[in-house]
This record gives sequence, C-alpha cells and structure tokens, in this order.
Amino acid sequence: MKKIFLFLATISLSLAALAQAKKPTIMVVPSDVYCISNGFSQQFIANGVEQTLPDYKKMVQNDRNMRLAITKLAAIMADRGFPLKDLEQELKNLAQEEAEVAAMQGKEGGEIVESPIDKLKRTAKADIIMDLDFNVQKRGPQSYVNFNLRGLDAYTAKQIAGAAGSGQPSTAAAPELLLEEAVISYIDEFNGRLQSFFEDMFKNGREVKLQLKRFNSAAFDFEEEFDYDGDTKEFGDIVDAWLEKNCVQGRFSRVDGSSNMLKYEQVRIPLFKESSSGRQTAIDARGFANDLRAVLRKPPFGIDCKVYQRGLGEAWIVVGEK
Amino acid sequence: MRHIFLILTSLALIAGANAQSRKERKILFGSTYNYEVAVLGVGQDGTKVFKVWGYAKKVDDAIVQAKKNAVAACIFRGIPGGNGAAPTPAICREANAEETHADYFDSFFATGGKYLKYVNLTTDAVPSGQDRLKVKGGYKVGIAVQILYNDLRSDLEADGIARRLDAGF
Repeated sequence: MKKIFLFLATISLSLAALAQAKKPTIMVVPSDVYCISNGFSQQFIANGVEQTLPDYKKMVQNDRNMRLAITKLAAIMADRGFPLKDLEQELKNLAQEEAEVAAMQGKEGGEIVESPIDKLKRTAKADIIMDLDFNVQKRGPQSYVNFNLRGLDAYTAKQIAGAAGSGQPSTAAAPELLLEEAVISYIDEFNGRLQSFFEDMFKNGREVKLQLKRFNSAAFDFEEEFDYDGDTKEFGDIVDAWLEKNCVQGRFSRVDGSSNMLKYEQVRIPLFKESSSGRQTAIDARGFANDLRAVLRKPPFGIDCKVYQRGLGEAWIVVGEK
Repeated sequence: MRHIFLILTSLALIAGANAQSRKERKILFGSTYNYEVAVLGVGQDGTKVFKVWGYAKKVDDAIVQAKKNAVAACIFRGIPGGNGAAPTPAICREANAEETHADYFDSFFATGGKYLKYVNLTTDAVPSGQDRLKVKGGYKVGIAVQILYNDLRSDLEADGIARRLDAGF
C-alpha cells in the first residue's frame, strides 16, 4: 500500500514538474514612426478626420534594411528558443486565408460561416510585439545608427523590455553593416529584460485583462445584490471576492465599473491549474475566465455567459447568453 | 612647534588611512569580485570584445587571472556598455550563483579549466606600458579579450547553471 502511494505521489509530482506554461508568440513589427517617416503609410478619412496608418505590406515589399534587421533578430531569437512569427509570411497567409474562406464550399454547397467579428479578428497578431525603429544619421563624413527596440505586451499594452541607443560613428561602414552591428549590440540587453519579465510571470502569475459586460437580454445588471457565501453583496463585489481568492497572491485591480460593465487590469492569473484528470495544465486568460463563467452558471446567478478571447492575455465575459 | 606637530599628526593619519596592509592586498588580489572591464566595441556575432585587468605577483599569473576575470564578468556581473556597444547582462542572474554552484565553478575556473574554451583571442603577449603596471605586491596587467559569449551561455544553460530564456514554456 505504501509503495503504491509512493508510486502515485511520484507520478503526480512528475506530471506537475513537466507542465509547461503557454508560450507567448513574438513578432517583430516596424514602429509606426519608422513606416510613416519612410513613406510606407496609407491615408484614410474617418469621420471627416484624415488618419495616417502604417502600410506593412508596402514596407516588407520595399525595405531591404528592415528585412535584414528582422532576419537577424529572428535568427538570434530562434537560438534563444523563441522562433519569431514573420510579419511578411503572416500577411501573405492572411490574404491566402481570406481567398480560401471565400472560395471554400462543402459537397452540398454549404459555405463557411464568418461573422463580422471573425473577419475583424483575422489580423496579424502576436502576444509580444518587438516594436523596431532605426534610422541612419550623418555627422560630417561619418554615419551612425539610432536604434530603438521595444518589447510590448500586446494585451496589457505595457512595455516589458527595451533597448535603445546610438552606435559608434563610422566613415567606412555601410548602413547595413551599422544596422547589423546595432542588432547584435542591443539584443542581449533586450533579452535580459525579457527574461526578467518571464521570471516575474513565473513567480507572480501571468498579467492579464478581464472584462465583464452584459447583453441587454441579461436578467440582472452588475449592481444587483445576491446572497452569496452567507453574505448579501452586489454582483461586482462578488466577482471581486472570487478574483481575490483565485488570483496569484490575490492581485488584481478593478479599474472601472458600472451597472453594465466591470473592467479589471493587472489580474495575475496562475500559469497552471489542475484538470479533472489530476494533471497540471497550462491556462491563459480564457481558461481563467471559463472558471468564473462556471461559477456564474450555478445558483444564485444561474446565468449563461459568453467567453470572448482576445489572445493569451485578455478575455471578456459577456453575461446574459452564449 | 604646535603647528608642526599638528601637521605631522594629520599627515600620519591620512597616510595610515590610505595604506593597504599586506593582508588587505592579498584579499584584493584573490577577490573573485575584483573585475575591471572596459568595452572596446561591438564584437562579431555571439562574441564580446573588451579589455580586462588581472592582479598577481607575477605578470604571467596576472594574465591568467585576467582571462578568468573576463569569463567571470560575463557570467556573474555582466559587461558595461561603451564604444558603441550596449550593456550585456550577466548570464547567471540569480544572486550568489557563484556560491550556489560552487563545486561546478571551482572546476570550471581551475587553472587550465573549461573557462579557457570561451577565451577566443587575447593580446596576451607580455603587455607593456599602461597595460603592465607594477603595483605594490605585484602587477596589474590589462589584456584585450574576445569572449565567445553565446557559446558560454549555451553551455551554462545546458549544464543547468543558467536559466534559458524559454525555460518553463
């Protein structure tokens, strides 16, 4: 009996140790200032106001220097265990996907169903954006590169890593060489900060955003009071209490709230949870929101909810219906 | 007379405060934290190029110490920026890594040990001028080194001493 217990304990410990957190995807995206100042932009008139947006397709088709920088960064990041999503390929895939979705038919003539939201979601995305900007400056006969690389968490909109500065001026070196030198020079500093971010994530949980909204068909609003856990509280306060219990070290901030919405930021969710089979499985914002939805489906609320995923780091729970 | 006495006393006190005892010098010479590093520029891909100093009684020993210091700076302290190069963080980021993995590093930094694998190029012909200073109790010697930083980091990660960037994913 003792041996069986020891065996089972060893197996469960091994499973916990083998659990892997969901790996964030990373993509190098040229900064807006780079695209616009180099002419890779497009103008729109929205509500009578002219807007200038970067034209990434034009940039990848014309800018050899940026392609060189992206290639160099991708090679270095792949060596560090993070193969990058390639912006150029991603743009091509999206165009191809759109054509295939439009052309695909079932044997009975059925077409693929796509809501406006599905179409909106079909954009190039990554969990971490490496926002890159550089320009070659002249000082007399010498050239040097100003380099600015920022790591942005796509969901919390926080800068999680960065490296910036100017390279050594040179009279002889070509701009491509100066650019390559800048990438090599700054990438270790950037990765050092990225590693600090990951270490913090493993220690204090993944930082995500969570929003609760309501369909107009919902039977109650977020100021309604319920008897819950032997106490009478507003719906919003009950959600606060649930978050405090389920977040890592109870860390979250309610940044806004009304009778129709609750908005939470800096929600630190655990990276793993125990599945029904006893295994440690990786979770993201959607998995965490699903746990809250399960609570809302039970009495005293007894209400259907829709969980809307926005990448690894943001989820919405829309109360009222699926 | 009183003034002269006061001046002499003050001078003696200042001299006493600045003087290094033989014991202190020995500690400084043997200190594992006594790395002096000046970056020379951006190295080839995966390498770091900088000047590093070593202290020892003899010039040859100071050169050996400088090479050890070069590798140790990459592992434990990181390399400062300069001459167009950005700062490089330490490979072992945990506090007191040197003590936590003492057995590993004792053999790693043994004279003629594995650390030499990462010292690719040096100016270790007998240094002269400002690179070879006679100091009290020995020599302070400066050499330019090229360290195979990426290879060093990869090997320490493979040996479980440093944490990989993608560890846990």
